[in-house]
Amino acid sequence: MSVPVETTTRAGTTEDGPPPARSARVVWRRLLADRPAVFGLAFAGLAVLVALTAPLLSALEGQDPVTFHPELVDSARGGVPLGSFGGVSAEHWLGVEPQTGRDLFARTVHGAQISLAVAVGAAVVQVGLGVALGLAAGLGGRWLDHLLGRVIDLVIAFPSLIFSVALLAVVPDSFPRPLLLMLILGLFGWGGTARIVRAQVLSLRSRDHVAAARLAGARPARVAFREILPGVVAPVLSYAAILLPSNMIAEAGLSFLGVGVRPPTPSWGQMLSKATTWFRGDPVYVLVPAILLFLTVLSFSLLADGLRTALDPRAGGLARRAE
Amino acid sequence: MRRKIVLFAVAAVAGSVSVACGGGATSAAGAFDPATCQGGTLTVLNQRDESHLDPARLYTSGGGNIPSLLFRTLTTRTRAGGQEGTKVAPDLATNTGEPSDDAKTWTYHLRDGLKFDDGTPITAQDVKYGIERSFSPELPGGAPYLRDWLVGAADYKGVYAQPEGIAAIETPDEKTIVFRLRKPQGDFPYLATATQFSPVPKARDTGTNYENKPVSSGPYRIERFEKNKELVLARNEHWSRSLDPNRLACPDRVEIHYGLNPAVINQRIASGSGADANAVTTTAQLGPDELARLDSDPELARRVARGNFPYTWYLSYDTTKAPFDNPKVRQAFTYAVNRQAVINAAGGSSLAYPATTFLPEQEAMGFKKYDFYPAGETGDPEKARQLLAEAGYPNGIEVTLAHSTQSGEGDGPEVASAIQDAYKRAGITVKLQGIDASSYSTTIANPATQPQIALSGWGADWPSGGPFLIPVFDGRQILASGGNFNLAHHDDPEVNAEIDEITRITDPKQAAKRWGELDEKLGRKALVVPLFHGKDAALFGKNVKNAFVSDWTGKYDLSALSVK
Repeated sequence: MSVPVETTTRAGTTEDGPPPARSARVVWRRLLADRPAVFGLAFAGLAVLVALTAPLLSALEGQDPVTFHPELVDSARGGVPLGSFGGVSAEHWLGVEPQTGRDLFARTVHGAQISLAVAVGAAVVQVGLGVALGLAAGLGGRWLDHLLGRVIDLVIAFPSLIFSVALLAVVPDSFPRPLLLMLILGLFGWGGTARIVRAQVLSLRSRDHVAAARLAGARPARVAFREILPGVVAPVLSYAAILLPSNMIAEAGLSFLGVGVRPPTPSWGQMLSKATTWFRGDPVYVLVPAILLFLTVLSFSLLADGLRTALDPRAGGLARRAE
Repeated sequence: MRRKIVLFAVAAVAGSVSVACGGGATSAAGAFDPATCQGGTLTVLNQRDESHLDPARLYTSGGGNIPSLLFRTLTTRTRAGGQEGTKVAPDLATNTGEPSDDAKTWTYHLRDGLKFDDGTPITAQDVKYGIERSFSPELPGGAPYLRDWLVGAADYKGVYAQPEGIAAIETPDEKTIVFRLRKPQGDFPYLATATQFSPVPKARDTGTNYENKPVSSGPYRIERFEKNKELVLARNEHWSRSLDPNRLACPDRVEIHYGLNPAVINQRIASGSGADANAVTTTAQLGPDELARLDSDPELARRVARGNFPYTWYLSYDTTKAPFDNPKVRQAFTYAVNRQAVINAAGGSSLAYPATTFLPEQEAMGFKKYDFYPAGETGDPEKARQLLAEAGYPNGIEVTLAHSTQSGEGDGPEVASAIQDAYKRAGITVKLQGIDASSYSTTIANPATQPQIALSGWGADWPSGGPFLIPVFDGRQILASGGNFNLAHHDDPEVNAEIDEITRITDPKQAAKRWGELDEKLGRKALVVPLFHGKDAALFGKNVKNAFVSDWTGKYDLSALSVK
């Protein structure tokens, strides 16, 4: 696995053997050479770390995300935090939420949990469904391909935002909200993955190594999993990395519209939604979730871009040149 | 007997100002003189329209704000600031009503010279017809009291199905109208301010289409009306100040724009460019942005009209069901509440003040101060724990609290979260149950679906203790099939008898004292947990004068404003 970069064969162009599930080390080295991707990786890693250790971090600060501190806001002025920069202090590192006085740092790190968990969970659903149905469409008969093709068209063309809002509004509150968001985002977002997988399968299907395996008497399942699936890993991986930020935005959007997670659970989208009326009264309240959401989405996008380049230098090279 | 819808109707339509009293502390610079205030165009920027501009279908308090520019009623609210504005004033009638037969018969005489906007005279028969119209099933939505109060009106189907009318409303001549009631009702003059008591000429009644072009008896007539968009009013030439002591009607025109976002309304009135300098709103409260700016912007602070529409937000539970059948549990829930956090969640001390009583702090309502289970500003969790332990819950208790999913409302998720947090400290674990705003009030008002605890609100149809206490605590008002507001399911024959006693009283002052004492008696039983009473704060434009606020409506009165 110490093949130099220059001699590595490109995915899908090998003449013999299965298309290489590219050497992880090579991909890693290429990724590290890509500065925006390194920034993306670092910040995304930090966000994940923060989300995982949220209870620990807020305990370190000595606060929790749900306790009210009515004494820290100015009731007569509509509940604006007392003190400067939205009530920033040694006890409250990012200040407090207007009206409630709940700690913003604790809410922000706990909000990261929801935002990331929903984004990752939805991406898992999207990739799982997309790969399964894409494989089925590519490997099944013409009839199945046609049927699945129309289903994929339908899913992609579906006005998912409107449907999500409607669905989230009618599902009873007893159903766990984050899980519901994952499912809804997942069920509407697998069309793109399925298409990419199907196209990749169609091109792989006619390769010699697949034909060889077939002739050697491999069962269809073995062909699908051992010969074809490794070839779709790279495009699916880079596509999944794009799905993450788009899911985060979608969750934030739904929470912003008031159909996301329910209070008192914090989420960045919900924080943004509440903050809009405080734009002038307490700008810090708007800026914290907005900047964090922006940076996290940006870093995941940069990471996705870098990953795609590292996995498929040709595509990356074209993108570079186009810039 | 309305709940939250009431507040909307009232807030949307209500208002109060006056010449005589001119509590003009909040008015614009430059002296206001009713004699020279005429002219100009008043702009009104609102969220919703009146939904139905038919006097039979409007549910207003005191005749409403915009409706009162078009419809005169037998009586109306006094156009004055503060408590003076909670009094009833004669409008079409020469006085507020002459009671006889133990307040079971009420007689009114119309003023001379009253005319509709086409010049035809207004008669007692027109008033009777207008009231009977409101009984038509085709025209629902109005205040429901008359069906219950009038003799033999319970099954009346309205003027279209039963043109013979209601026998209990008599019009011996063109100027006299007599009402015969089933029970003594000292509050009848208050009810006669409702838009159902405005005259409708039978010859011009177009049924359900009437709301598109209702006949005006007030200072303005409709020039243009586009539903949910715009209502333009021009002077009614057949109205004059000499025949109407209540309305000043200074502007020549009133242009009302609907469908605006509250943040946009506040922003436009605050900056006041162009026609917005003459703008007011009857629907938008001050938002946090404006409240936060008031300290540093004295010019804006001068243009805030503050008032108190009587409204109470409280926690309701069924006192016939465990655990709330135990008074100690109910008291614990009162001790544990953190009213400061709740008020902040509801918009801060500019928009709410703490409630320990069910009646709001108004003389006219009969307010009597009490606080039997004092929670202080931020709650007494220790005392609550102790009471829960005595009641058999030494390890705390778990309950479900229902709230509307509509953010920013008194029964919204913010207030519910504040209660959840305060109760946690007292060992009460609160599970929140969000119910969609559109079905929230019907869900709690139906005993079959009533949640264990619900955030509830109550507003008065008129500023008196009766409409505040009767629907909520009278045992005979428990409605098993829905539309129930006695959420405590409280039925005490002694309380019921006392209510009957007080409704006989025709002197508002005397009645108010008794309502206050009754409220105190009910408060001792901890039948609800009062949270806070609402306050009103609305902006008005730079050129707007005479923007005083009555305690009946909590808003400035459109009929008194001047833009000159």
